[in-house]
Amino acid sequence: MKLTRRDLLTLGGGVTTGLLFTPVPWKLLDDTSIWTQNWPWIPQPARGPVEVKNSFCALCPNGCGMRVRLAAGWPVGVSGMPHHPVNQGALCPLGFGAHQLNWHPRRLRQVRHHGRASSWTEALGAFRKACAAGPVAIIDGYPGRAASSLFQSFSRRHGSYGVTLCAEERALGPYETWSGVPATALGYDLENTATIVSFGAPLLDGWSAPGRFTRLWSERSAGVTNPQLRLIQVEASQSRTAACAWRWVSIAPGSEAALAAGLARALHEEHRASENVPMPPTTLAEAATRSGLSEDAIRELARTMVARGPVLAIAAAPEPAVAALNIVLGAVGARGGIVRRRQHAESYASADSVKGPFRAVLIDSSVPGEFALRTDAEVFRFAAWEDPAVHADWWLPAPGFLEEPSDIPAAPASSIETYALAVALASPPPEVRSAAQFLAQVNPSLASVEKVIHERCQQLFAARTGHLHREQSTAVANLKSAEALEKEFRSGAVWMGDPPRTGGVRCQLREWPAQQAMDAPHAATWTGGWIPAVLPPLATKLYQESSLREPPARSEI
Amino acid sequence: MSRRSVTFGFGFLAALAVGWFAFPRALYVQRAQPLEFRHKTHAGKSGVTQCSDCHALREDGEFAGIPRMDTCAACHTDRIGTSEPEATLVDNYIKKGQETPWLVYSRQPANVWFSHAIHMRRAGLKCAECHGTYGESDQPRAYQVNRISGYSRDIWGRSISRFRRAPHEGMKMSDCEDCHRKRSIEVGCLGCHQ
Repeated sequence: MKLTRRDLLTLGGGVTTGLLFTPVPWKLLDDTSIWTQNWPWIPQPARGPVEVKNSFCALCPNGCGMRVRLAAGWPVGVSGMPHHPVNQGALCPLGFGAHQLNWHPRRLRQVRHHGRASSWTEALGAFRKACAAGPVAIIDGYPGRAASSLFQSFSRRHGSYGVTLCAEERALGPYETWSGVPATALGYDLENTATIVSFGAPLLDGWSAPGRFTRLWSERSAGVTNPQLRLIQVEASQSRTAACAWRWVSIAPGSEAALAAGLARALHEEHRASENVPMPPTTLAEAATRSGLSEDAIRELARTMVARGPVLAIAAAPEPAVAALNIVLGAVGARGGIVRRRQHAESYASADSVKGPFRAVLIDSSVPGEFALRTDAEVFRFAAWEDPAVHADWWLPAPGFLEEPSDIPAAPASSIETYALAVALASPPPEVRSAAQFLAQVNPSLASVEKVIHERCQQLFAARTGHLHREQSTAVANLKSAEALEKEFRSGAVWMGDPPRTGGVRCQLREWPAQQAMDAPHAATWTGGWIPAVLPPLATKLYQESSLREPPARSEI
Repeated sequence: MSRRSVTFGFGFLAALAVGWFAFPRALYVQRAQPLEFRHKTHAGKSGVTQCSDCHALREDGEFAGIPRMDTCAACHTDRIGTSEPEATLVDNYIKKGQETPWLVYSRQPANVWFSHAIHMRRAGLKCAECHGTYGESDQPRAYQVNRISGYSRDIWGRSISRFRRAPHEGMKMSDCEDCHRKRSIEVGCLGCHQ
């Protein structure tokens, strides 16, 4: 019997039809999809014993407490530290996915000079030469750390030191100008506030330490018609915070200062303002025209604000009119207002105000990627992740997430002083060095970060104030030695200072401040505070899902 | 019957035979466990009555998994009996201080986070509801690995069609989802893939 072409086609048809009645196509589809997840170039966590350790996130100055899950010694998962007095178990989406960052394709793994591969020897040689030729500037994005004190020591001999403050600290700038108390020593006493008027500050979207306000809001405000904590969001668009607020006041973009002045005038006219505060020159009619609200609406808003005190106004950016409104409300130096958390604090020069001419500028990896200094000096930029949009003559690979030990000073805008140690839980790639290690090679007389941390622990022990927080709280005075204190820190304890005293800050205001346009308010969200322009996949997924949060008494499509 | 029908039918039946009988045999390859461990013997002679006596939860709720070598070494410092597996255990692993490279039947992909503590303590699930009655067996089961995906056959289940499966057969994501839905428990991506 001769096999024809038609027979082969018929046979093929029978085989194909038959296979559809077997598990072959479906099983092969399933197995192939799993096979694609295991290609050799996809990073896979090592198999090994699983353990959970405490540490702290140093990706931004909020320093949230973390519980890090390690498999075979490698971080494979992150969750919030429930006993942390500030973030209280909450993390931003970036923090939840931070363990993925060390594997990001943009991870900087070698020294680069003008786009070409270079070496630490060449970078050190160039920096030494620059130091010998003229002054250098060091820019720090996370002041107050042990590494920061080394930067300052180096700068005292070789040039200048400047810092880039986060949006929450910059917003406290007017109080520093008027009271002389550094913004880094001031904080918002949110825990004792009854009404918060936020001028565009993304309080529920990563403002300050993420857990601090969201916890207060969920306990005292969420889903309640007459909440214990009233959040009034003054903002041009319905942001996530505006959608969840007790009241959203929609105003014309850029009219925050005019509205703050209008509110202050309304309070003056109704004799509800604190004494010795100048009357704003802006009339209610002008404030109404600029903000798009009616005069009656401004008066009603002013009455609502003061109906339940203490009242606190928070700006997204340095806005003197909002700061002046706080003086009118009597919120500066008062319980539930702007408080001084630390008696002795240093005032830092802003990185933008550091003036040259410099021979070189060294930028620490803690400085946000968007920061750019207008200078002709040679720029040495430390970073764990390269950002092609940012200019630097030298790109120097820095430790990534939890790859170096660091101390964690109090979060910006926190009302209570805290201190903790972030232990390194991951091994850095071999080519990685921190800016502090680099400077120690240039100037061997500099102390190491570990030594400074050790000294700080001794100072805290000697002061014998405050409490250590772990699962249970312990007074520092009950500890036996500075070594015991340091050991507690290394296992994840957080030191918390005594509650702030009221009256520690007084602002003198002779005339109402001139109006100025506010900076973009989105600068304070969790993505705005993030240093490089890379995100872990988990963060984007989490943030997408977070848009499903249901605001009280309102549906969102 | 026409010649075309016979040819078509032959191809159809051949495909059925290949798909249902030859394909599963070709897809999985059998591997031997490094040791012939007998659950039943240990339960009978050592007084082990609960799975958790050896497969315990740690204090922090993390599942300890397969006992580490020091647990075995507590009794098997020297050979107990003259069997070959006993000699292998003592000579190759305990005396050398090496962990036994067990082939884990229920090992999941690295992007899966599963908490035994939540399922055992909160949901009150028994071990056998997911793992079957393996703990009562007297011989180690054959470990079959999928040539394409690299995972154990237990993840898909013994039945290639996944029809008429026993409740404990299969540990795929859809099995987790089915169980959650039956119990009206929320199913979300980040519950397991965090």
